[in-house]
Amino acid sequence: MIQVENLRKEFKKTVKEPGLKGSFKSLFRPKTERVVAVDDISFEVPKGEILGFIGPNGAGKSTVIKMLTGILTPTSGRCTINGKNPTVSRKSYVKEIGVVFGQRTQLWWDLPLRETYGVLKEIYEVDDKSYKERMAFLNETLDLESFISSPVRTLSLGQRMRADIAASLLHSPKVLFLDEPTIGLDVVVKDNIRRAIEQINRQEQTTVILTTHDLADIELLADRIVMIDKGRNVFDGSVGELKTRYGQIRELNFVTDSPDPKAALDYLRHFSIGEEDVSVKCEGSAVKVRFNSSAVPVSDILAYTLETVHVNDISVKDADIEEIIRRLYKQGVE
Amino acid sequence: MKRIFKIYTPFINAGMQETATYRVNWVFYILGSVLGCFVSYFIWHAVFLSGSGETMNGFSLPQMIVYIFLIFLTSTMIGSDAAWAVGEEVRDGSIAMRLIKPVSYNATFLFQELGNKLLTEMFLVVPLIAGLEIVRTVIVGRVEFSVVNLLIYLCSCVLAYLINFFFNICFGFLAFVIKYLWGANMMKNCIVGFLSGAIIPLSFLPETLGRIFMLLPFASLNYTPVMIYMGVYQGTELLYYIGLQVFWALFFFGLSKLLWVVSVRRLSVQGG
Repeated sequence: MIQVENLRKEFKKTVKEPGLKGSFKSLFRPKTERVVAVDDISFEVPKGEILGFIGPNGAGKSTVIKMLTGILTPTSGRCTINGKNPTVSRKSYVKEIGVVFGQRTQLWWDLPLRETYGVLKEIYEVDDKSYKERMAFLNETLDLESFISSPVRTLSLGQRMRADIAASLLHSPKVLFLDEPTIGLDVVVKDNIRRAIEQINRQEQTTVILTTHDLADIELLADRIVMIDKGRNVFDGSVGELKTRYGQIRELNFVTDSPDPKAALDYLRHFSIGEEDVSVKCEGSAVKVRFNSSAVPVSDILAYTLETVHVNDISVKDADIEEIIRRLYKQGVE
Repeated sequence: MKRIFKIYTPFINAGMQETATYRVNWVFYILGSVLGCFVSYFIWHAVFLSGSGETMNGFSLPQMIVYIFLIFLTSTMIGSDAAWAVGEEVRDGSIAMRLIKPVSYNATFLFQELGNKLLTEMFLVVPLIAGLEIVRTVIVGRVEFSVVNLLIYLCSCVLAYLINFFFNICFGFLAFVIKYLWGANMMKNCIVGFLSGAIIPLSFLPETLGRIFMLLPFASLNYTPVMIYMGVYQGTELLYYIGLQVFWALFFFGLSKLLWVVSVRRLSVQGG
């Protein structure tokens, strides 16, 4: 159970004026400004849920994760995880969580992978029997056997990520934080990692908080989405809700042999709607119409299109989550 | 206590393995330090030859030789890279990876470095002390080696290392404020080298200045253990200097705990 209440984090940042002159100036009289990275964020995650935590670059996702894992101290607000405050009782708190930062490794760079697990076993006080069982299980789901004796610095990115995820799961944590666990990986490894996360979540009721830019991760794994932008919470709900709330966008694709379909089809005037609700794109004989189905029902658009031009092939597509999020990222939410 | 030992021994082990991974680097490191030591020997040799008397500020040439090589051995034994290591972790943000583990931040550094050092010291202490004593016996013409002094010296070195380690940790926390520590670290090494007697013996300095320096924690790093080995400190004087070492070790241990609590609050992890 994770509770986040009014979490806020400010940083002081030195501002450097451009060029060499600016560098000299900031050397003697540095100007600082306050940057609000996370601004009043609240959400809750019940046990056993997979939460997708998304937002554009620089939205404050990683900062939130760092506060939840006890690395950063919030400027104000509270987060409580299983009744514990991460910054107050760091050592006993981090015992119950597993963390993977996709861009860093917690593995011992110069030692064979196996040694890292040996060290972790002692740190987390895992007894011999559970350690053996756990290693066997992780081996099976993440397929570590082929490189477990190699020094970590010789591993490929995909191998390293699998090894890192295994390291975060060795002590059977109650909560797993994954900060971009699939960054830079190929499709096969991504798939492999998603399946492992799903399996662990299902078998052990592990709560998972996942940040990612790969929306397939979200669609396949997340029960719920929290989206933040510029440090603020902009959406909190299920994938389905996101679609119904922002996803009335449909896409009508058809092929026509009429000479100038774009001129013939005047959706704007016919339905008296604005440009934000419909857009038409022609590529040769293929036409793509994107429209807001809450402004114009799908059936009306279809009927009008079919009677105006001669259509050979037609299909209507649901907007996928990627499209929704792209729109949200671009325009921000009201 | 047993639990603490169990948790942190893997760090000693890992530290040793890390050193062993880059064997050639390690050999060059030792060779480099030994060479530096000989350079300093030849300089002092020339100084003595150009001098007027048998002794200089109470040091005879054989004593000076012992001093030079022991200072080298001591500063290698008690040397600590903790300030640099902390600084680098703060600079590149990898400090985050240490914070997500249920272990004490300072203790992991301590034990990892102990692992690094154990290997170096095993290969350095025995040959260096043996070689030094043989040379000394030949020059002086009689055996001046004392097992008791050697044992007290080793204990004093352990204390000196703890002082140095915790001092370096405190210094490393500066990185939370100034972000990059390279320059500050150079300056620190230079000043500590001078104040600890690694460059010239503290008894060569004007008397008042020397007295003040002896009270500073840095004299406890190099000068005190070497003086103990050379049998200069005896009886109550010996107890006084060991006591001073214990005091400084506890002082910097406490300070490092305090600074940790203060600085971890203002941590901003750099680089994503």
